[in-house]
Amino acid sequence: MIETIRIGHLLRETATSPYRHLVTRPTGAAVRHSIEVALSRSDCLTALLDFSDIELLDFSCAEEIVAKLLLAQASQQPRFVVLRGLRDDQHDAIEQVLTHHGLAVAAMVADGETVLLGFVSGDARAAFTCVCRLGRACAGDVAQALDWPEARATEALESLTHHRLVRPEGDLRYPLLVA
Amino acid sequence: MTRVIEVPAHFDDRSFDQFAGDFGAWPPEEKLLVDARGAQWASPYGLIALLTAGQAVAEARLERPLLTVPNSDEVKRYWARIGFFRHAAELFELHGRVPKAAATGPSDVLLDVTPVRAMEDVHQVVEKISETASRILHGELGLERNATMRFSMALSESCQNIVEHAGTSGWVAVQVYTFRRRLGRRVAVIAVSDAGIGFRRSLESTHAKRFGERWGDGAALEAALIQGVSRFRDPGRGQGLAGIKGFLDRWKGKISIRSGTARLSIVPMWDDDVPLADHLPYFPGAQVQITIPATQEAESR
Repeated sequence: MIETIRIGHLLRETATSPYRHLVTRPTGAAVRHSIEVALSRSDCLTALLDFSDIELLDFSCAEEIVAKLLLAQASQQPRFVVLRGLRDDQHDAIEQVLTHHGLAVAAMVADGETVLLGFVSGDARAAFTCVCRLGRACAGDVAQALDWPEARATEALESLTHHRLVRPEGDLRYPLLVA
Repeated sequence: MTRVIEVPAHFDDRSFDQFAGDFGAWPPEEKLLVDARGAQWASPYGLIALLTAGQAVAEARLERPLLTVPNSDEVKRYWARIGFFRHAAELFELHGRVPKAAATGPSDVLLDVTPVRAMEDVHQVVEKISETASRILHGELGLERNATMRFSMALSESCQNIVEHAGTSGWVAVQVYTFRRRLGRRVAVIAVSDAGIGFRRSLESTHAKRFGERWGDGAALEAALIQGVSRFRDPGRGQGLAGIKGFLDRWKGKISIRSGTARLSIVPMWDDDVPLADHLPYFPGAQVQITIPATQEAESR
């Protein structure tokens, strides 16, 4: 199950003033808290955070919302997290803060493709693209598609699984937004 | 005894050290007379530095300084329109006729002189600038359309540094003008200044030991701007300045931070500033200037 959370709605509900911009750490922390409350009431497997109503996302808010949410997921009931509706400048902010922490997240871009933001090896990125294209894949499928030794594909898929960027089911790995 | 502080005729980040040097030791023991009669032009950096001086004197509970306003009517009108006198009247005893401020600021002012006291002010600054930034940054300076958002991010992070680190309030102003001597192009300039504890004291308890005898204003600026450290133990801190540096690299822009007795800059090809200037005259708090030049294509239109 996928829980869609519209960040713009949360911002309007959370902030005391009607701002369209996600700036300052206290605002980011308040929005993250609201996301965590929403997720605690949901039995979803995947949280889809929709930023399409947001005009500006500064580094402080990218850190407070996305990086700290991912860090908290490691210690709470873990969910898969996907971002949607980001603009280029918001990509930049999230990419920087996640790279700083050694974290990564999947983000849907305008044409429906899903890309990775943050700290991910080139092999993991290639394997991620391959899993998304195939719809589901085991290490053998990835190795065959990318013409890699199977050990290399296994390592790349393990990295994606560790960062919760693909959904594991036995030997298979699924893109996060496949039900 | 009264100490006279002369406002340079052309008051910007370059002439700031002359202004700072006039104060002597801080806090100054004598009553201050800040003499702006000869001022012919002041950048946003210069204007908010003036306010910062007044604020520092007020916070040190010293006698309210005098400020003689510029002789030039044109200069006075401009300072009024950008909101300088409105705030200066709270910090200085103004001498000379001050014109009434126009309802709206001049078109090249992206953000009037604005106090930054709390996170709420950062929201308001970002909201306000988003109304005009696109027209000027994209339309006039030729930056890519989404540069507006990156510019606002830089502004947001710079202002947040005051609230989180200075220990007091500060000032921000944003303006577009022509860098005739240094660049020969129009630039957008974000100027941020506070009268707070400065980078050295902010970082001292967590980072001084690592630098040993090298620790000082210059080393503190290096730690913050180059190494991205913060006084907070939270490992996610210190990324605001790192993000700003990334944008400036893309735009061939410049960031310069002065704190205490040092100034550290990331210097683009078009500027001849030194990366680190140390042993400068002391000035309270921190002063940041971010300079983003027009593209060559925009200038040749």
